[in-house]
Amino acid sequence: MRAVRAASRLTRAGRWVMLRVLINQIRFTALQAIGLVAFLAAILAFLVISQSIRQLGRFGAVDNLGTIMVVAVIRELGPLLTALIVVSRSGTAIAAEMATNRVMGEVTALEAMGIDPYIYLVLPRMLGAIVSVATLMVVFDAVALLSGYVAATTNGMALSRYTAIVLRTLSAKDVWLTLAKGVFFGAAVALFCSYHGLAVKAGPTEIPQAVTRGVVATIVAIFVLSALFVAVAT
Amino acid sequence: MTERRTSVVLGPGVAELPGAPPLAFREVDLLGRADKAGRFSVVVEPGAVVAAIGDEESGIEALGPLALGLTAPLAGAVEVFGVPIALLPYYDLLGFRRHLGYLPQGDGLLQNLTLKDNVALPVRFATDHRLHEVEARVAQLVDDFRLRSIAALRPAQATEEDRRRAAMARAVALNPKLVVLELPFVGLTSRAAKELLDRVSRSDDGSARAILLTSRDLTPAVRDLVTHAVRVVDGVAIEAQTRESGWR
Repeated sequence: MRAVRAASRLTRAGRWVMLRVLINQIRFTALQAIGLVAFLAAILAFLVISQSIRQLGRFGAVDNLGTIMVVAVIRELGPLLTALIVVSRSGTAIAAEMATNRVMGEVTALEAMGIDPYIYLVLPRMLGAIVSVATLMVVFDAVALLSGYVAATTNGMALSRYTAIVLRTLSAKDVWLTLAKGVFFGAAVALFCSYHGLAVKAGPTEIPQAVTRGVVATIVAIFVLSALFVAVAT
Repeated sequence: MTERRTSVVLGPGVAELPGAPPLAFREVDLLGRADKAGRFSVVVEPGAVVAAIGDEESGIEALGPLALGLTAPLAGAVEVFGVPIALLPYYDLLGFRRHLGYLPQGDGLLQNLTLKDNVALPVRFATDHRLHEVEARVAQLVDDFRLRSIAALRPAQATEEDRRRAAMARAVALNPKLVVLELPFVGLTSRAAKELLDRVSRSDDGSARAILLTSRDLTPAVRDLVTHAVRVVDGVAIEAQTRESGWR
């Protein structure tokens, strides 16, 4: 919190530097991952909806398709999968970069220049990860819904019926939950990976270990947070 | 409408003591020894260039971090402009360091920034200059340290001498009254070492700047610029020489 307060007192040029780091982080974490997120969302939704229509159709329970789409894909799997993609792409990069910063003496050099490394290194990455994860979750949901429609029509369901079934289950709460998960999961990715990266002390050989520790801790945190969301939201 | 600008260097409310020397080590324990006889004392006066000379186990590696308040002395006191720097709260300490220049061992340049952006970093973060004023100051430093043709290179793409030039330009970017240089001449030619020390030892207004530098040996090329040298063995300054008395 002290770092956030100190960041609010940054100079104009300092804010400009931070903004550049933030934009770079969003470019790397969100923009460059959109294709992968969209691809996985499409595959996942197509498989889930195709299988669901076939299985539910045997029992005449196709109307429950909306519940599967919204609860399983939009509410739970989407955020989880998106966060895991971001951890594997950007979390590893953040942890490795922080560890390298520490090993190369760059963190000490920043402090010696009177620059708080948490403001320069961690804060923009945290904001970038939050914005990116939240945005990617929205992308995931949009592509999943679209892909679900393709799967439904492939299996003989009309657009109007698919839309009605999904909209019946989808609520504003799902939108807020998605955004809240984006904030918490994004913060978890940046904080855990930064912490383990900056905790490196011995030398370059410790960098891969720091990356592993950061990624494992983040994955555990994301699953725990996901469970907490279920507990709180229900 | 023009905005009010407060100062060149944005620092905290920690005031320097008037008349205090830029840097003073008072009976500092460099190597974790209990006995008082094994302690280090040196004062860097305004405008003086003091060289602390010693081998890897002499304890001179501790001087830079102690002077910047990056580590606290195990015993004794380190005062910068009369302020016991290690006792400052973290954010006051960060602001206070903007009055100091520091060349860490190994340069400490940020690898993901160009040499120019490395030089610009303290100016961008520690001043309330407008953007074009920041760029003008950076351009001046780039020219002064002859970095123009390589300013767009990353540190890994530059030679050791060019990296040192950039790191030294960054150290004096805020025109500090005190600069601490850790092993600044390693890997440099005699000509480059003299040129860089000469540039760093002068403030923007041409006046002499206080410098503490550490070195394994006092290169003949830079002896004219050093005013005072102490040889450090086992954490103790055992021999002091001055330029006036001649180097032995």
